Amino acid sequence: MSINIWSILKFFAYVAIIMFFLFPIAWIFNMSFMTNDEILRKVPVLFYEPTFKNYIGLWEGEIAIEGFATMYVYFKQNLINSAILSVGSVSVTLLLGVPAAYAFARYKFKGGEDIAFTLLSFRFAPALLIILPLNLYFSEIGLYDSYFALIWVYQLITLPLLLWIVRGYFEDISPDIEYAYRLDGHSWFQSFWKISIPLAKPGIAAASLLCFIYAWNNFVFALILGSSQIQPVTVGALAFITASAIPYGLIACGIVVSVLPTLILALFIQKYLVQGLSLGAIKG
Amino acid sequence: MSHSKMKSAIDTFLKGKMSRRDLLIKAGKYGIGFAALTKLMGMQVTSALAAQDFDWKKHSGTTIKLLMNKHPYMDSMIAELDNFKALTGMNVEYDIFAEDVYFDKVTAALSSKSSEYDAFMTGAYMTWTYGPAGWCADLNDFIQDSNKTNPSYNWNDVVGNLRDACSWSGVAGDVPGAAGSKQWCMPWGFELNSVTYNMRYFEKAGMKPPGDLVEMTDQAEYFTKNAGSNEWSYGIGTRGSRSWATIHPGFMSAYANYGLVDFENNGGKLKAAMNSQASKDFHKQWVKMISSSGPANWSGYTWYEVGNDIGAGASAMIFDADILGYFFNGNPENKEAGNFGFHGFTPNPSASAPTPNVWIWSLAMSNFSKKKDAAWYWMQWCNGPENAMAGGVKHNQVNPVRESVWASGDFDDKIRGTSPGYMEQYNSSIDGSKIHFTAQPLFFETTTEWAAALQEMQTGSNVDETLDKLASKIDRMMKDVGLA
Repeated sequence: MSINIWSILKFFAYVAIIMFFLFPIAWIFNMSFMTNDEILRKVPVLFYEPTFKNYIGLWEGEIAIEGFATMYVYFKQNLINSAILSVGSVSVTLLLGVPAAYAFARYKFKGGEDIAFTLLSFRFAPALLIILPLNLYFSEIGLYDSYFALIWVYQLITLPLLLWIVRGYFEDISPDIEYAYRLDGHSWFQSFWKISIPLAKPGIAAASLLCFIYAWNNFVFALILGSSQIQPVTVGALAFITASAIPYGLIACGIVVSVLPTLILALFIQKYLVQGLSLGAIKG
Repeated sequence: MSHSKMKSAIDTFLKGKMSRRDLLIKAGKYGIGFAALTKLMGMQVTSALAAQDFDWKKHSGTTIKLLMNKHPYMDSMIAELDNFKALTGMNVEYDIFAEDVYFDKVTAALSSKSSEYDAFMTGAYMTWTYGPAGWCADLNDFIQDSNKTNPSYNWNDVVGNLRDACSWSGVAGDVPGAAGSKQWCMPWGFELNSVTYNMRYFEKAGMKPPGDLVEMTDQAEYFTKNAGSNEWSYGIGTRGSRSWATIHPGFMSAYANYGLVDFENNGGKLKAAMNSQASKDFHKQWVKMISSSGPANWSGYTWYEVGNDIGAGASAMIFDADILGYFFNGNPENKEAGNFGFHGFTPNPSASAPTPNVWIWSLAMSNFSKKKDAAWYWMQWCNGPENAMAGGVKHNQVNPVRESVWASGDFDDKIRGTSPGYMEQYNSSIDGSKIHFTAQPLFFETTTEWAAALQEMQTGSNVDETLDKLASKIDRMMKDVGLA
């Protein structure tokens, strides 16, 4: 049996590529079980006794440094805040964005394209440009520091994204299928609910996941428009860095925990995600 | 019975008639632990304040809200906050943000004229923007009003240089603290820029801490060259990120020690002075030191990296905030904790004493607050003599801004017991310490440009040409706002 040199090279190339992309993630995961002393050695440590101290500290929110101080972390609350803000934002976006996307895809009405582009233009405006006026108005009308207000503002990020992606999927679905269903005596809403939405499900799932990621990763809106009680993980994670030490183990632990929700969500809707992305790929 | 005897002993201690050691012995005799003792002391201080001829309960029931940076000073304040609540009957809410984003939050709150926060932490430099913009209140209106300020507050107990540094007339080029200045903030804690060094490493190398900048460069080079077989990685840690924060610590302290200035002030018109011949010579020496013996990725270095490296034993010494060394030395999570020595540093061989540039964590009052008088009650308690003493002795409120705390035997014992050379460093540096920058509204823009120029020089750009370019760029910036 002759050895196929190309197969071997290909194998090593795959390993190298996987290593390149996964090594930082694997190393962060590794760090989350190490002490600061082990992480900061001049020569990196490969074999060590794993510790759950970082995870316990993160969960309990209190890390006592003997003879010095007690460090308080509010990461659990930050995580809950991120979940509320992201799930809330995506839910509102789905509620408003899917019917709107359908309307833009199916009906031609006066000013329709202008409205669609206006919505898209929300994505063009740098957040910093609008954040100060928003802060001013929100303080005036008593909306500062509320989940409701932040979910509302997050629509600037999530709604145009979902609307424009899902619009494309609705446009790809032949209206004849809907007409046929309605000829059977079903209402417009029934055809939308039973035909259009199931057919566009992969696109809606892919767009929802993207919206969730954008909402989860948002930093500036909550920072400016909310108190420390409603800050998401993106802002809360900064509090790990203190004037007297950088607890890298704890930071790594925070990264691992904050990546998990998106990872789990992506795994659950992976099937739709692949369908959704490939549908988009063969368009036109 | 033992409780009342202990209260009487604490009373005697607070009056200065009993040593800390005797107090601890008495506490042991009455079976009172350290935690209970500190709580009792807090209560006793509160009772003493309440007994003053001052209506501490005037704003009872009022809630104020603070915007705070995550910092040991803030931890120290929160640890004592119940005493304030008991004293005044007021409620205090606070928002805490990490320093990386803290000033964005403050700027957003103030620029949108939000009344959400009544008082906030700030640096003196920031008030050069906030004050003239009308965002923070002039605290002279409160400090000088005996109806609003308790009789034992004693403003003059706060180190004079620091009081001055927190005030300014708002006229570019005017010296902070000069006649006509407004007190935009009050000092709460501060840092002097000195040398913190790893005593183990220096002992191993048979060295004493550096006498001047040239010796510092030589020592740093020695450590870097001999890093291979030793625990350390390089000689000297300083900040290097493209930010004003790179200029204000060690760099500005050394620059001022050579008698150099950032601007020449010609009757209110400012001219950049970074390209004088003496300044160019100084920059060459500094760049040589950083290039040959600084950290490999120096251009990303902030407070955290500098502290982290000396804490982990990567650097042999740092020229940065004394409290940076103090905090990292005290935190046992850092590998080299407990091994640091402190040294008042005079970079210029011709100078007689150190001239550290100071950073002052201060307290300011929002001009948009609807509860200014109540906020002032919290402020005068927070940096009042009793709380400053509690912060300095019981917690990590270091460096304290009150001379009475520095003069206290308890504080002296605490610092000398943990931080060799720290008190000597303070005593040799405090007189020459102040804000050495020219007060002007473009402070952050001009110092950031300066840091960018420093980065260019460190990567090999010609020092003379880079400084000439920097000076003309800054002159243009000043001209654009009518200051040149």
